[in-house]
Amino acid sequence: MKIQLQVPVGIQIQAFYVFFLIHTTQVGTGIMGISTHIYSTAKQDAWISILVAGVWMSISVFCMGKILQQYESADLPGIQVDIFGKFVGKFLGTILALYFFGLLISVLLNYIEVIQVFLFPTVPTWLVCLFLLSLVVYAVLGGVRVIVGVSFLFFVGTVWLLIVLYKPISLMEWNHFLPVMGNSYSDIASGAFKTTYSLVGFEVLLFIYPYIQNKRKAHSAAQLAALGTTLLTLAVVVITIGYFSGPQLERLIWPTLSMFKIIQFSFAERFDIIAVGLWMMIVLPNMITAMWLCTHTFKRVYGLRQKQVLYVAAILLFFGTIVFQDRLQINYFTDKLATVGFYIAFVYPIVLWPIVLLKNYIRRKRGTSQ
Amino acid sequence: MRRSVQKKKKPSDLFPCTIEELKKQLSTMLQDSPDLNFSTYTLGQKRVIVFYFTYQINKEQLHRSILDTLLASQDKTWDAKMIQNEVPLASSTLHDKLVSVAKELIQGGVGIYVEEDDQPITYYIPEQARRAVSRAENESLVLGPQIAFTESMVTNLNIIRWRLDTPEFKTEKLIIGKEIPTEVRIAYLTNIANEDLINTVRQRLEDLDVNDVMDSNVVAQLIEDRSTSIFPQLLTTELPDRFCNSLINGKVGIMVDKSPTVLITPATLFSFLESTEDIYFRWNIGTFLRIMRLAAMFLSILLTPIYVAALSFHVEVIPSSLLVSLGQSRANVPFPPVFEALLLELLIELLREAGARLPTKVGQTMGIVGGIVLGQAAVKAGFTSNILIIIVALSALASFTAPSYMMGGAIRVIRFPMIVLSGLWGLLGIFLGLSFLIIHLLKVSSLGTPYLSPLYPFHFADLDNSIIRLPWSRANRRPTVNETKKPVKFSQKEAKKKRDIDE
Repeated sequence: MKIQLQVPVGIQIQAFYVFFLIHTTQVGTGIMGISTHIYSTAKQDAWISILVAGVWMSISVFCMGKILQQYESADLPGIQVDIFGKFVGKFLGTILALYFFGLLISVLLNYIEVIQVFLFPTVPTWLVCLFLLSLVVYAVLGGVRVIVGVSFLFFVGTVWLLIVLYKPISLMEWNHFLPVMGNSYSDIASGAFKTTYSLVGFEVLLFIYPYIQNKRKAHSAAQLAALGTTLLTLAVVVITIGYFSGPQLERLIWPTLSMFKIIQFSFAERFDIIAVGLWMMIVLPNMITAMWLCTHTFKRVYGLRQKQVLYVAAILLFFGTIVFQDRLQINYFTDKLATVGFYIAFVYPIVLWPIVLLKNYIRRKRGTSQ
Repeated sequence: MRRSVQKKKKPSDLFPCTIEELKKQLSTMLQDSPDLNFSTYTLGQKRVIVFYFTYQINKEQLHRSILDTLLASQDKTWDAKMIQNEVPLASSTLHDKLVSVAKELIQGGVGIYVEEDDQPITYYIPEQARRAVSRAENESLVLGPQIAFTESMVTNLNIIRWRLDTPEFKTEKLIIGKEIPTEVRIAYLTNIANEDLINTVRQRLEDLDVNDVMDSNVVAQLIEDRSTSIFPQLLTTELPDRFCNSLINGKVGIMVDKSPTVLITPATLFSFLESTEDIYFRWNIGTFLRIMRLAAMFLSILLTPIYVAALSFHVEVIPSSLLVSLGQSRANVPFPPVFEALLLELLIELLREAGARLPTKVGQTMGIVGGIVLGQAAVKAGFTSNILIIIVALSALASFTAPSYMMGGAIRVIRFPMIVLSGLWGLLGIFLGLSFLIIHLLKVSSLGTPYLSPLYPFHFADLDNSIIRLPWSRANRRPTVNETKKPVKFSQKEAKKKRDIDE
């Protein structure tokens, strides 16, 4: 397996697309219900938890940038093999690919459940799954250029949803945030931990890096994306906490979507229904990127043909989603996955950076002594 | 031994021969055509035969230049070289083989052969039926030049040379079609167009292995990147001003003989939504028109599906005030909304198709009968609701705003699967279809250029002249997507120079 990945100029992308790629990979199903999760521990100080998580994410992105700087044009599967050797490197790569596969299942399940609750209570899971997966496969077949294009265009196509939030903002009750720092540090910390599920996805930087044309700007684009996602999450959580009362918020599963209920225009009422439909365009880039990451990692680690992996993964996903039947199972799976995601995205890069530095230092020393 | 002797008796070895022999061989080769005219003259010591297709040549030139010269003195003895020297026509060719003589005759040549001479000589004096240059019918404009291309390549080249009188304008001649050859020209400005693009176009055309091409639209379908797509990937136009404007901006044109439209490549989705009229209008009106057309495209694809989805599944989305009038107008309709919408869309499509096929005089009546009478009757009979008629008419109108007939057709066809999707799965179906469309558009390319450019890959400077239009003083760049040799048209500095009061 080659450590460096040389990509022809024709399929390279500009660094500023990294912003959209990372942002759309982060924002997906997590943000629909994030407020309830954080509120359950950090209560009115949830916004502090998000800031903490945001800063931590920024540090992690910084470490990623530093790791990538050590190599000219490598990605994480390559770096792992370089650092830990063939066997351990491949093992870690497999874990990463399986993690992305799990991420796909969790996104699929969560979105399908939302559709079943808001739009069509009777629609079978496998049907929606088939729709989404066929779109995902169709997009991934187009390669990195199409995947990045999807995340860019779908971001532009859905970002206007923020504007309609002016209505709940005008109805916010600022007393809900008082008293500030009314909870213990451990509560806030565990709130920050719970935020991470909706922030994971920025590790895509470690995989897309060889495809970036102007690599020097990639780091700042990634930091910007991290900032953007933090601000978006912050805005959503602040609005939901201000808009809903505490006990009410604890009973809701998707407060972000419920908030859209009061928005109405002269030509459309019940905006939440439109929002849930439109959410498909928020979830799709998420799934498409995850699918690419999963299949690409398998290709890198085992040298398989990505097309074949893609088809097999799609079929497995299709049957994988049927296994899960109720909310509790989905929640359990999502929680476990969030923990894995936390270690992969928030801990692993910070640990990996010193190791990479040490290894390169030793190597350089050996090179000079010889 | 015998076979090799027979093989040697090929038409190439016909000459020198007698006049009778030539006549016989030529007639057999040209399927004994009754229009093949032979006239024999005895001049000096030798007989001379002049032969041609009566309808393929210019009779006046034949009489004035060829026959007058030949018959001027009765006792001169001619041979091919002498004829070439004395006949006042430029396009003479000497032939060794009878096949090439026959080919020349078909294309509009006159053959002359002096008995027992080595080579027959032909003059190319064709007369082609061609229509006069007329107004553009299909891409009609209010402002700007009204002239349109015709079927004749010579006339078209003449018009383009008139507009682009610069030595940098270059055309490359290619012959396509193994059985029926057709002349195809690649046209571009050598100092502007990108070399790689020209090479791609040339490569694609040279690689074509077809028997014949009927029209430029067929050539477009033969060389495009993704033949499974519903979207046209090369721009066809009948307007010389549009063609020349594209060339000046670094695009490459393909002209096909016998076709009244030319091709422009690379084409993006937005180039199908722009009309040259946007350029002739003031920039602010041009911008408005372009954005309106873009909105019309979305409207045309989404409006009827939204109606169907809202009425079939998401009644709660409809505001209560609107719900009353919708309910009243739909009270008599026995069909589900999908069926109702498909019926009416089909009606409109039939009207359009009938209008396009009928002679113009009847076509107008059809429009009125279909549009007003049928629509009114359909509502009265309880077939459809009033509101749906408005929606369907609106989306049909919107689809006609696309300046490219080809793109209009694509938009209209996309509507049907979208209606079916919305009828089956409501909003979910609509967003499914829309997502698929966007992903599909991302995958399409026109001779290697991304179809959605300048939206993706995003080029801020290219938004001018694709989605919006800037004032001329600011529009100093050629589209970067064309990768031209001269990306800047004029210096921005000078155009922007600010003058003080009363200076």
